[in-house]
Amino acid sequence: MDYAMEDTQNAAPEARESSKLSSGAQKNDTQSVTKRLQAELMQLMLSPSPGTSAFPDADGNLLSWTATITGPTETPYEGLTFKLSFTFPNNYPYAPPTVLFKTPIYHPNFDFSGRICLDILGEKWSAVYNVQSVLLSLQSLLGEPNNASPLNAQAAELWDTDKEEFKRLVLARHRDIEEIE
Amino acid sequence: MSLSGIPWNHFDPLNHFPPRPDSAADFYPQYLSSSAFFNHGLPQLSSVLYAESPAFFNMNALSAEEMERFQKLSNEFEAELPGPLVSPKQSSSAVALEYANSDPTFATKTSALAVTHPFMRIMKGDGNCGWRAIAFGYFESLLNLRNSLQVHQEHERIKSLNVLLQQVGQEEHIYGIFVEATEEIFTQISEAIQRGVRDDQFLVDAFNDEYNSSAILCHFRFLTSAWMRLNPHRYQAFLSLPVDQYCSSRIDPTKTEIDEVGLQALVDGVIDASGFAVEILYLDRSEGTAVTPHQLTQNRPTAATIRLLYRPGHYDLLYQPEPTVNMEPVVNYQYAMTSNYPAWDQGALPFDVGSISMSIPNLMVDPSFGGLGASPMPADPSSPFRVSSPQEMYPQPPMNTPPPPMPVASPPPPRMSAPPPPMSSLPPRSTDGPQIRLNPLVMKPNLSHSLPVTTPFKNSPYNQAHFQNQDFEPIHWAPHESRK
Repeated sequence: MDYAMEDTQNAAPEARESSKLSSGAQKNDTQSVTKRLQAELMQLMLSPSPGTSAFPDADGNLLSWTATITGPTETPYEGLTFKLSFTFPNNYPYAPPTVLFKTPIYHPNFDFSGRICLDILGEKWSAVYNVQSVLLSLQSLLGEPNNASPLNAQAAELWDTDKEEFKRLVLARHRDIEEIE
Repeated sequence: MSLSGIPWNHFDPLNHFPPRPDSAADFYPQYLSSSAFFNHGLPQLSSVLYAESPAFFNMNALSAEEMERFQKLSNEFEAELPGPLVSPKQSSSAVALEYANSDPTFATKTSALAVTHPFMRIMKGDGNCGWRAIAFGYFESLLNLRNSLQVHQEHERIKSLNVLLQQVGQEEHIYGIFVEATEEIFTQISEAIQRGVRDDQFLVDAFNDEYNSSAILCHFRFLTSAWMRLNPHRYQAFLSLPVDQYCSSRIDPTKTEIDEVGLQALVDGVIDASGFAVEILYLDRSEGTAVTPHQLTQNRPTAATIRLLYRPGHYDLLYQPEPTVNMEPVVNYQYAMTSNYPAWDQGALPFDVGSISMSIPNLMVDPSFGGLGASPMPADPSSPFRVSSPQEMYPQPPMNTPPPPMPVASPPPPRMSAPPPPMSSLPPRSTDGPQIRLNPLVMKPNLSHSLPVTTPFKNSPYNQAHFQNQDFEPIHWAPHESRK
C-alpha cells in the first residue's frame, strides 16, 4: 500500500508535466476548432436554410450543439420536427462530428438509439462538410432512405412494401420536442 | 526477412482495411478470416476475441451488447502507425535493407535506388501520404531555391486559386481556414530565407503538427477537386464514375489516399504553374534493375523536381545526391590494396591475385609509350579500376578533382582482357620501371614465386609466356613450386 502511494507520488510530477504539454497543443487546436465553428454559426445565422436550425448548447461549450430538422413535404415525416445533437471532436473539421437523433425516429438508416448510418459522417467525411450540409443531407435522407445498408431492417422492408404501415410506425414512434425536454 | 515481414505499417492501412462501419453482419467474418487482423496491434480486441472464442463463431450467441462493443472497437480500429507524419531526411538504404531478403527484383531495384537517390523522407501511411509528399515536396523545393521573389509569386498564385474554389461553390468561411494555414507556410518560408535560416526543421515541424498539416492538405485537396470539376474533359476518360462523384468520394474526404488520376490533377492544377517538375519512381516487380520513372509534368528545364517513391499503396519523398556535398576523394584501389596488405601473400587476399594484377595498368609499359597517364587500357570512368595519374594516387583536396564518378554499389568484376595494342607499338623493355607506384614487393625479382603466372596472363602479349612477346620464354611447369 505504501509502495503504491510512493509510486504515484513519484510519477505525479512527470504525468502532470506531460498533461500540461498535451493540453497546450490541444488548446491550440481547440482555438482552431472554435474559429471554424464560430464561422459556421455566423453563416447559419446569416443565411439559414429552410427546415433546419442549429445552435451551440447553452453551457458555453462550442463543441456540442443542438439542431433541428423538419420532415420534407410528401414524405412520411412531413410536418414532424426532429431534434439532434452534434458533438465535435478536437480535430474537427478533419474528423466528422458525432450526430445523434434525440427525437425517437423510425427510419431505415437510423436505429432506435438515434444513431445514424450515413457515409459522409464516417469514411466519406470531408472538411468541406459542415453543420448545415449535414443537416441538409439528413433531411434528404428522410425522403430517400438508403435501403442498401439499413440499420433498421424492418423499416427498410416496409418502406418498399407497405408505405401505410411505415407511416403509422413513424407517427407512433414520434414525440414532440416539448415532450422530450 | 520474408516478404510478409515487411513492415506494412508503412503502407496505408486504409487500403488494406477499408473501414466499413455500415454493416455489422458481413463485417466481422471478413476481418476474422484475415490473420493479419490479429497481427495489427489491437491487443485488447484480440484478447477479447480469443477469450470468447467458443461463442464467437456463432454470431447469434452474442448479445446485442457484445455486438455493439465489437462494432465500437472495430469502428475505432486504427492500425498503429509509428513515426512522424513527415520523417527527417534519411538514407534510402533503409528501404534496400527492408527488401534485402525479399523478391530479388525488389532487392535489386532498392539497392540501385540507394545509389541514385541516396536520401528520402518517409511519409506516414495514414491515408494522406501522397498528398503530404507532394505538398511537403513543393514547399521544401521552394525553400531550397532561396528566392524570395519566387516565394512571393507562388504565394500570390496559390492565393489566386481561391477563384477555383468559389467557381465550384465553396464558401469562403469554410475554405478560408485551409488557405490561411497554407499562407502561414509561405510567410514562414519567406522569413526563413530573409533571415538566412538554412535549417528546414520549421517546415518539418509545421507538417508534423497534425491539425496544421490537415488544413494544408485539405486546401490542396479542395484545389484539386475544384480543378477537376472545372476541367472534367481532361480526366473523365480515366474515371469510372462522373468527375463530380469521383471528387466527392475520392478527393474531398479527409482520409482517402490519392490515386493516379488525382495525383495528375493535383500536379496539373496546383503544382505545374510553379515550374517545378514532379516525377514518380515506381518500385514494383516489373522487369528491370531500377525503379521505373514517370514524369507527371511536361519535359522542360526546371529549377526543382519533386520526386516520389511509389510502392503499391504508398508514397514517400526521394532525393538525388546534393551536388554541393563534398564527397570523399576516390581512393585508388591499387594503392589501397598494396598498402593494406603488407605482402603479396595470396592466401591473405580476398580475391584472385591473377585477375587483379591484370588490372594494374602500366605494369609493363615504358615511359616512351605515351608518357604520363597513357595506358594500353582505355580509362573507363565507370570502372573503379581506372587508370590513375600520379596526382590521384594520394587523396587531394577535393576542389581540384573533377566530380568523382558515382560510387558503385558492388564493383563490377575486373576486366579480364584488354585489347592488346598492335605489336609494332610494343615497346622494348626498359629498366626505368613502371609509372605507377607499386608495393616494393611487386618489383622483387622473384615475384613469380608469390605471384604465379595464371591464365589471364597467357593470352596477353605482355606476358613473357606469350609467343608474341619479345622476351618469350615458355613456362616450365614445376609441380613442387607451382602453388606457393
